[in-house]
Amino acid sequence: MSAIQINLPLPLLPAGWSSDKDFKAVGSLSPATQRSLEPVGPHFLAHARRKRHQRTFSEDER
Amino acid sequence: MSAEEVAASTPERHAIGISFGNSHSSIANTGADGKPEVIANEEGDRQIPSILSYVSGEEFHGTQAKAQLVRNPKNTVAYFRDFLGKDFKQVDPTSAHASAHPQQHESTVAFSIHDSESETPNTVTVSEITTRHIRRLASSASEYLGYKVNAAVVTVPTDFSDKQRAALTEAAKAAGVDVLQFIHEPVAAVLAYDARPEAKVSDKIVVVADLGGTRSDVAVIASRGGLYTILATAHDPELGGSKLDQVLIDHFAKEFVKKHKTDPRENARSLAKLKLESEATKKALSLGTTATLSVESLAEGIDFSATINRTRYELLSSKVFGEFRRLIETAVSKAQLDLLDIDEVILSGGSSHTPKIASVVGAAFPETTTVLAPSTSTSAINPSELAVRGASIQASLIEGFEHEDIEQSTHPVVTVAPHLNRAIGALVISAEEHHGIFRPLLEPETAVPARRTAQFATPKEGGDVLIKIVEAAREIHSRKPEPKPKADEKKDDDDEEDDVSDFTDSEDEEEEIREKKWKVHTVLAEAAIKATKKGSKVEVVINVGSDLGIQITAREVGAQGGVRGSVEKPATAVNGSA
Ligand SMILES: Nc1ncnc2c1ncn2[C@@H]1O[C@H](COP(=O)(O)OP(=O)(O)OP(=O)(O)O)[C@@H](O)[C@H]1O
Ligand SMILES: [Mg+2]
Repeated sequence: MSAIQINLPLPLLPAGWSSDKDFKAVGSLSPATQRSLEPVGPHFLAHARRKRHQRTFSEDER
Repeated sequence: MSAEEVAASTPERHAIGISFGNSHSSIANTGADGKPEVIANEEGDRQIPSILSYVSGEEFHGTQAKAQLVRNPKNTVAYFRDFLGKDFKQVDPTSAHASAHPQQHESTVAFSIHDSESETPNTVTVSEITTRHIRRLASSASEYLGYKVNAAVVTVPTDFSDKQRAALTEAAKAAGVDVLQFIHEPVAAVLAYDARPEAKVSDKIVVVADLGGTRSDVAVIASRGGLYTILATAHDPELGGSKLDQVLIDHFAKEFVKKHKTDPRENARSLAKLKLESEATKKALSLGTTATLSVESLAEGIDFSATINRTRYELLSSKVFGEFRRLIETAVSKAQLDLLDIDEVILSGGSSHTPKIASVVGAAFPETTTVLAPSTSTSAINPSELAVRGASIQASLIEGFEHEDIEQSTHPVVTVAPHLNRAIGALVISAEEHHGIFRPLLEPETAVPARRTAQFATPKEGGDVLIKIVEAAREIHSRKPEPKPKADEKKDDDDEEDDVSDFTDSEDEEEEIREKKWKVHTVLAEAAIKATKKGSKVEVVINVGSDLGIQITAREVGAQGGVRGSVEKPATAVNGSA
């Protein structure tokens, strides 16, 4: 997928915000639901290839 | 074995797409250019009636066989797809009442027909009929393409059982067609649209309403980065174009009775004639505003001719149109979604040519929903061709794969994946959860692992910016519009909701304004990009793993360095299956 363009600006950094390496993990995702993907189309084939060869997105692109 | 030996021992595989309905079947081929071509058979038909008929031992197929429903119904086998792979007890014979009747035969369904010159009828199983039908389809495709077609991707409804698939695989094999894969009809329709050169991969919720001849099926599909997940389906095994044919049959029969005091519906042959012509009239009304029906010797030797206009037809059919609309709404509510969540409705199947069905369905959805049908969109693909086009695209993608490869890729180990319950995105304009505006990068129901990239604008003067990554849920808000000067003060707030939606075009009713809004659920991470230049952009990449751990990278576009960090996976990754 091409990059999503977001035209509203990011907020300014609040005064006093600081963190090591400028990154702060805060919380975790809520649980997901198991569902079946339809094994159809070119993007699914790419998904299957990654999963069967245990490759990440960037490894797959190399 | 060397490559040459393999080539010598196995004939080259040539795969096409096949859609096989109770009413019609279609064949298509997608070549190297990726463009599906729907193939016309020798008679010039792209929608080939799934009908076989036998006259003194000679086999007729398609439109020629359909014409035999008038003269030779007992030796004409029609509407049989859904009999395949079933016990006789499970079969609903209604649609075959005016053609060869399905009968119990051992553990399967068969027809007793004169398919040879012999005096005694033969018992021909539905499996054998299917083989003969597929043989004709494959031969038409081979004839057109100039080489022998020997494999196919075939579309099936979403409720087709393993037993039905196995029976169809066997029947096709006997016709010399190797079924490489079955794909779901509504997914084939989405693929047909997504494979167009001008289409962009996007995240959207799509409803595919397949409105057929004897049945209708609806699927709600999450389309996420080109991956498709069916969220819910709804089926009506009795709702289809034949109900609309019946509306016209009854209308014309009544006119005939008025004039000639005899009812053509009471004689099987007269009824068959009237049905055939009523269907043609119905199709003509999808294009023109009036249509004429004429039948030679309809009943008791009397010729009949009458004209009907579209408005009249639509009035008579409004109840049936409402049933199509309700089936679609049922599917959306089974997916636990709101009509506002639906980005696109793809109308598929032959009955989707009907302009009023498209407008009735369109009126049920908000204006933000795109309805893809011939009468609502000039870029719509012929709804009768959607399934077969998708099948042929898939056939071109997997034609070169070994069976074992296809089996492994379609196995639950590969297809089952965790799907996000909420959206993941960033806050823009304000960092406060209540004031910031949420922009999703990953929508709910995205399968993981998944990766999305977004480019954000920065404040006017540039400077240090905060990227606040949050998980958010969509909520539906409804509010009353600004009161009109004469609005009735005493209107009750509570019990209006339900009524209003049924009368969308009534002017006095105060319609509620319903909107989708994001509500921040959890803050996941914060990152700072310092000293951004005036007018620059910040690119954020979010990578969610199958364990729901998240990798985030952010950088100013065109600048050095950037920020990188990760968010721990949750304690429980999966909530069980849906
Ligand atoms: N132009 C048209 N206008 C209105 N109805 C049409 C038009 N073309 C085809 N139909 C109707 O569409 C129906 C057939 O739809 P379709 O070919 O999608 O069915 P199918 O999937 O093969 O059959 P089934 O639903 O019985 O399994 C028939 O009732 C036919 O009359
Ligand atoms: Mg169908």
